[in-house]
Amino acid sequence: GTLGCASVTVGSPIVPLGSAVTASCTVQRELCRGLEQGKVRIRWMLDNKLVAGSQRQGPGGTEVSNLTLPRFNHTQARLWCCVEWNGTKQRVGMAEIRAGYPPAKPLNLSCVLNLSDYGLTCQWEQGTDSHLPTSVVLKCTGSRAQEVTGCTPREGHSHCTVPRRLLQLYRQMEIWVSATNALGTAESEHLCIDPMDVAKLDPPTLQSIQSIPFQTDCITLAWDLAWGTEHMELQCELRYRAPEDSAWALVTGISGRAGTAQRCGFLFGTQYHFQMRCRRNSASALAHWSEWSPCRSYTTHEKAPTGK
Amino acid sequence: TELSGDQDFQLFLQRNLEFTRKIRGDVAALQRVVCDTLQLCKEDELLLVRQHLDIAQAPLEQCHKRTFQAETCFSQIRAGLHIYQGSLATIQALLPGHAGLVETLQLDMANLSSNIQQQMEDLDLATVTYPTENQDPLPTFSSHFHHQVGGFFILANFQRFLETAYRALRHLASL
Repeated sequence: GTLGCASVTVGSPIVPLGSAVTASCTVQRELCRGLEQGKVRIRWMLDNKLVAGSQRQGPGGTEVSNLTLPRFNHTQARLWCCVEWNGTKQRVGMAEIRAGYPPAKPLNLSCVLNLSDYGLTCQWEQGTDSHLPTSVVLKCTGSRAQEVTGCTPREGHSHCTVPRRLLQLYRQMEIWVSATNALGTAESEHLCIDPMDVAKLDPPTLQSIQSIPFQTDCITLAWDLAWGTEHMELQCELRYRAPEDSAWALVTGISGRAGTAQRCGFLFGTQYHFQMRCRRNSASALAHWSEWSPCRSYTTHEKAPTGK
Repeated sequence: TELSGDQDFQLFLQRNLEFTRKIRGDVAALQRVVCDTLQLCKEDELLLVRQHLDIAQAPLEQCHKRTFQAETCFSQIRAGLHIYQGSLATIQALLPGHAGLVETLQLDMANLSSNIQQQMEDLDLATVTYPTENQDPLPTFSSHFHHQVGGFFILANFQRFLETAYRALRHLASL
């Protein structure tokens, strides 16, 4: 209590929003210097608004006031215990009360493995605000329910990165988000993934484009894989279009080894734009495509005049 | 154990074939660093010195035989990974500027070993659990030069070890 002569107790300092709050204020007259004379009249204030309590005599000459607020609709408020003294209201005790909801289930958990440092960055949607201090942690464990590790997002963020040393590569890991506050815990769906299956690759590099075989409507592209993917089996896609084309033409199923690809059916004397992207050739549907490579243009040669 | 048709086993093999390729790439990167910084690049220039050194070489004969057993081969791969994980401390001391690459390699080796261990357990094969911290005493070298050459051969032996392990995994994947 604030003055030592009164003590305020509440049923729970944190309650579900809209639920009842009960409080009790006990005033011990002999500990309140200046209150020795006259009747002790206890008043309650919720922040700055008077609320009515019921007062009775307590054990050992104390005065006790009980208060019930049937529907506590503040997310945060101070409950003051006051006594009347010389025509004034003296605040002699206080309790802080918070109200809110159990944490919402974190949604849309997704993760990406960054190949430059093999850190696994996961993000999710936090869901409705619980109005209460809530601790959120990303948890992950090897598939044998071994030690649980993970990471903690910075305040107000809903993403964090699990460092490489806490990951198990090339094997299923269970990953989920856990949110906890005074009113409960909520968990996201559990992802069961091999971190490698969500590796985000840098795009390949288109090295050269040439009209080969010569004097045909074919071109041959040479490309290089991104650094750090040499050991991977990849599948790649090529897209190209002439400036006037409305849509890209897409060539799929290009095997991922660095090398060349040949494509025919190009118009003569026409400038084309080319881009390529790759992803890991893994069974997982979660495998991320790299971004498209920077655009590379090439103008096909003019058609050779046919002799008459 | 009749494994060839087992989908999980095939997925395990595909994943850890790629993982082994990655580790071989990491070891090759360290070998390039040793070559660039210590000018130790060719094995055949160091055969004489090698005779004075006691360099760990993990046995892998169980994975050599044409009709090898997955269980004994896997156990030898794990035992070898454990030996080389300890030996990498020698490399870390040699190349303080590349501690990150050595740590990545040690992490990858530990992961590969535990991936194999879990697969063996899934197949009800007997497994050994190695202590996370390697207690084997580090080799001592009579000179800094011998220490450098020792580091060179640890990487060379380890690269060969990985090549054999890779072939064994690929053989299993082809069954």
